[in-house]
Amino acid sequence: MIDRYSRQTLFTDIGEEGQRKLGNSCVVIFGCGALGTIIATSLVRAGVGKIRIIDRDFIEYHNLQRQVLFNEDDIRNQLPKAIAAERHLRKVNSSVDIEGIVADVNFTNIERFIHDAHIILDGLDNFETRYLINDVSLRHKIPWIYGGAISSIGMTMSIFPGETPCFRCLITNPPGRGTIHTCDTAGVISPAPFIIASLQSVEAMKILVRAEEINRDLIVIDVWKGTFDRTKISVNKDCPACQGKYEFLEGDYGLRATSLCGQDAVQVLNPEARTISLEGLAARLKHVGQATYNQFMLRFTVDDYEMVVFPDARAIIKNTNEESLARALYAKYIGT
Amino acid sequence: MSITVRVPTPLQRLTQNQAEVKANGANIKELIEDLEKNFPGIKERICDETGEIRRFMNIYVNEEDVRFLQDDTTPLKDGDEVSMIPAIAGGRQ
Repeated sequence: MIDRYSRQTLFTDIGEEGQRKLGNSCVVIFGCGALGTIIATSLVRAGVGKIRIIDRDFIEYHNLQRQVLFNEDDIRNQLPKAIAAERHLRKVNSSVDIEGIVADVNFTNIERFIHDAHIILDGLDNFETRYLINDVSLRHKIPWIYGGAISSIGMTMSIFPGETPCFRCLITNPPGRGTIHTCDTAGVISPAPFIIASLQSVEAMKILVRAEEINRDLIVIDVWKGTFDRTKISVNKDCPACQGKYEFLEGDYGLRATSLCGQDAVQVLNPEARTISLEGLAARLKHVGQATYNQFMLRFTVDDYEMVVFPDARAIIKNTNEESLARALYAKYIGT
Repeated sequence: MSITVRVPTPLQRLTQNQAEVKANGANIKELIEDLEKNFPGIKERICDETGEIRRFMNIYVNEEDVRFLQDDTTPLKDGDEVSMIPAIAGGRQ
């Protein structure tokens, strides 16, 4: 065991002292997909003392292309991602306290997951939860590292509460529903999230060992083109979150799901969205499932679920009573 | 007058794979119109149906965010560099 970290402590910017700091740290990872599995793997192997992984999904075959921790047995055993990740990683490093939690993160529960965190890492697939992380990070003064990847591109930025611009300084409000592509509509090649997650992991290590050279820019990469760009982001003087208004944490924003009594369906509302272009949504969804629409509604079938989307961005998700699942499907296919 | 525009990867299909193009305009709005003339389809990727800059699209003039200047009426001059950076949500799934 004594030899486990020898190659890492030989690296002078970490050293024995840095290794002790890693061992005394607690990291929380939200989302255990392509980004999350790489981040969790790096940090468990690096000897971070405690790692909590929160994810709401099960593993599917189309995840295996880039989610390096999972395998076909996990799918056959119908394991949730958080549980499979915990089991695999325990075999990698039994000295790390690893906790996999299957949960849909929302404003009512997020503070429970981060109470002892020294740093929060983003492995999410939607904007809504990132705004929530941003609020909770600023309120509790815990740094967090944003990361996102789609197609062949990715971006990351580190947020230090009170010191750097925050995520809402970068994007004040969530993009309108259905206006942006997700990996489910635009695809993704694995090296894009691998590189972004690796950058997030190294930033986490640097922050935990209190290194001086911490990245404060927005980094944008394109693995297909081989480009790496940095952009300075400014603090937004009017940023609500920086001024202590935690609107997402207070539940003023975000998807609202209500199970429709006796109908085996859930209605998802977006208090913030006003309209959605059904034509645009249909165009994006044509590669992932069957979508038909007229001026009043769009009907979309994927797996065992049917989604009916209205021009006011409201949706009814059929064949489920689970509100968290309905919110997840909305975020995945309609976008948040 | 010539302004250098840095085009984000997702929009480069519309600019024949060029990461940097030249355009003209006295302000951001005019610049986007000029881009649309040469690269049809690019405007609707930058602006929404009402002509406003989309919320996930950040535009910088010489590294200054236009939201903190005058949004799409931010004036431009010869030699300015405009960058466009769309935010990325996708992560897993």
